[in-house]
Amino acid sequence: MSHSLNEVEATAKRAARGAGFCWGLAEEAGKAARWLCANGLDGCGVLARLLDDLAGEPLSARSPMSLDGDWAGPSGRLCPLMAGATLSDCASRLNDGDIIMSGVMHPALILPFAASAAQQSRKEVTVSWDGLTAMTNSSGVCLVDAASALTSPYAAQVRVRAGGTADPVTSHVTRATPDGEHWATLNRFAHRTYAPATEASRMLGAGAGLSDND
Amino acid sequence: MQEPRGTTIPRRDPNVVMRLARLGSFHQSRLSFMRILTRRMAREGWRFTRPVFDINSDGVGHAVYSAQGPFRTYSLVAFAHDLPPEQRSDRVIAEAWDATFALFDGVPTEADVLRLSKNVPQQEAGRISESELSLSRANRSVRLWSHMVDALASGRQPDNDQIGKVGYLMRTTAVYGSGKFGAADREVIADRPEMQVPFQAEMLSVYLTRTFARDLIQHMARAKGGDGSVMLDPAIARQLGIGNSTGLGMAPYIVNHPVLFNNWIMAREEAIARVRSVASASAAEVALFRDLLRSSALSVAAWRSDHPIQMDKLARLRTELDALNAFVAGDDLINDHPWDRLLRWAESNLGEDGQEFIASLMLEPYPDLVDGLAHCMADGNADAFRINGAMPVGRVRDSIEECFGWALNLDWAAPENSARAWYVSEEKLEPRLGERFKEPIAEYEQPLAPARDAALLHSALAEWSAKAPIAEFLLKHPEHRHTLRRVQVAAIAPYGEIRDNTISAKLLPIDMLRCKLSFFGATHFDPRSDRWVRICMYAGAPYPEELSESNADRWVYPEPVANG
Repeated sequence: MSHSLNEVEATAKRAARGAGFCWGLAEEAGKAARWLCANGLDGCGVLARLLDDLAGEPLSARSPMSLDGDWAGPSGRLCPLMAGATLSDCASRLNDGDIIMSGVMHPALILPFAASAAQQSRKEVTVSWDGLTAMTNSSGVCLVDAASALTSPYAAQVRVRAGGTADPVTSHVTRATPDGEHWATLNRFAHRTYAPATEASRMLGAGAGLSDND
Repeated sequence: MQEPRGTTIPRRDPNVVMRLARLGSFHQSRLSFMRILTRRMAREGWRFTRPVFDINSDGVGHAVYSAQGPFRTYSLVAFAHDLPPEQRSDRVIAEAWDATFALFDGVPTEADVLRLSKNVPQQEAGRISESELSLSRANRSVRLWSHMVDALASGRQPDNDQIGKVGYLMRTTAVYGSGKFGAADREVIADRPEMQVPFQAEMLSVYLTRTFARDLIQHMARAKGGDGSVMLDPAIARQLGIGNSTGLGMAPYIVNHPVLFNNWIMAREEAIARVRSVASASAAEVALFRDLLRSSALSVAAWRSDHPIQMDKLARLRTELDALNAFVAGDDLINDHPWDRLLRWAESNLGEDGQEFIASLMLEPYPDLVDGLAHCMADGNADAFRINGAMPVGRVRDSIEECFGWALNLDWAAPENSARAWYVSEEKLEPRLGERFKEPIAEYEQPLAPARDAALLHSALAEWSAKAPIAEFLLKHPEHRHTLRRVQVAAIAPYGEIRDNTISAKLLPIDMLRCKLSFFGATHFDPRSDRWVRICMYAGAPYPEELSESNADRWVYPEPVANG
């Protein structure tokens, strides 16, 4: 069964919120999953695995401690949504040199944010880890070598640099076909954002009152 | 938005326009999505056919209605059901309906119809595909339906009074589009000229649904009365609209789409500014305005509601119409910026409802100034989502003060100012509004209180250097990220934020609903509580076989008026 990209975005956003992300990063998670799916990559799978792997630790433990030098989190691991969003926020820093991130969980989630940085600088941005090189620009992404590293749960180092040698052209798709298990995982997290129904909420919350039959 | 030469009067201040009491007093206009659609279909000579009408004498079966434009065909696939009365409810918690619909992108094959027949009747519990643009359902008005079947079956036309009391044969509830339940995403159709304006697929679906309701009642009357039955008088049929029950789902929509919402409001505000800037009006323009004012009075007179808030508003609007009539009787409306003079008079003498009534009505004589703005109403700015992390903290603070200044001194700790919380219920995944201090909902709160959140962000920024890039702040405070995004959007979309408290104890969600529905072109808002409303769509509109350039636009005004 295929899903619309709006369904992917909405489900991913709710799932990230349900997993404990603040709203702003949950919005980023929705857009990131959508971007990956639109470029033919498994955005739902990588987000589902990330949310499953993030247990207990506060986000601050997985956020870059400083924007100066290499980016590393206090726990030794970086959340790719936080690191990615920060990369997009700091896109202009790529003009001053490469950005190196240490201990990135599910690094494929960095790609949508690299594409966002590329759009701002209007030139290619290249991301590499574990022998994989991915080039992004405003029109898409292309993978060079070691594409299997795309599903890595962890990369000791992710390097992001301005420029690229290839012309990334993705044939964009308009539907996503996530693995059923990953889709269920996202929905399980999303479910945490829903308030249990009570009789009071059923009556008052949606505003019953007058009959709707006539 | 480009201004034509000669727009000398600026758009109204967002601090005036974006208050809830005013947004909740908006009226339809030339820029309403229904009218934009019917104008286009008439101008382009769309052809309408009914390739399938396979419905039995119990009213069960399906039908297909196709609308063929210059580039593409769209088809409404309608399923008619025999619904036991006890199951008939418009609430989203309902599980069965009198009729269910999908708008198909093209002309469906039998295999498409078979696939849809297994899913569309289930609505939220089914799945549709990228070939479908919308999913919807409708229930009959029981009393008008049975009256009309009985009358037509026995050879009589239905009673006008009965029709006036209800106004529609069927009322829709949700019309889902934009990728919901598997439908095609908005992006799939956004570049098509006929779909570029927002909600055109949904408006087309409702337009064809109205035709289906008329055809079905004729079919049922014939099945009951046989040769003794009569055809429904087309003039009576035209009075019938499609009802719609709309609940809280629409309120979060306008908060969650600030660029889109801005574009709707800004298009109308630009239209108002252009017409106010008209230095002198022609006799024909003034005559048309006077005609439509008389006609509008009929519509307001026929507007019924049993809700105390709306009854008060209607009583006041009727009184103000008298004052307006007196004013325009004593003014030729020709020289010295007549429309600006009229609106300034209204601002000094009428409430928001009367002012917005005039603001919409005075656009009517000026299609050349107004109608092109329809193309500015979509949201094509995907980049607005991206945060500019280089923006200095000082500029962020300025932007907050510009858009949310009114909220910075509000005591957000006071219970009455934070009384409500928006949440999504587990039961039907629908937005609801609860009492923060009385129900266990705060931890499920949706980010639908931008003003409170902007005040929190402003306060959190107090200790930061004005020169620091906002990215550094966000690294330490990601919890403000969603608000910072809105603040940056507000700087380019001045009409994107409601400048009122959306979690106040005094909030009336129906204000948010009416604002959105007015852009659809709805009339006769009839709140059924403070949080759901009934409206009528397409009442007075020509049916597909009647649609022409002479009747495609001003059908919303009840008297036949010659097109100027």
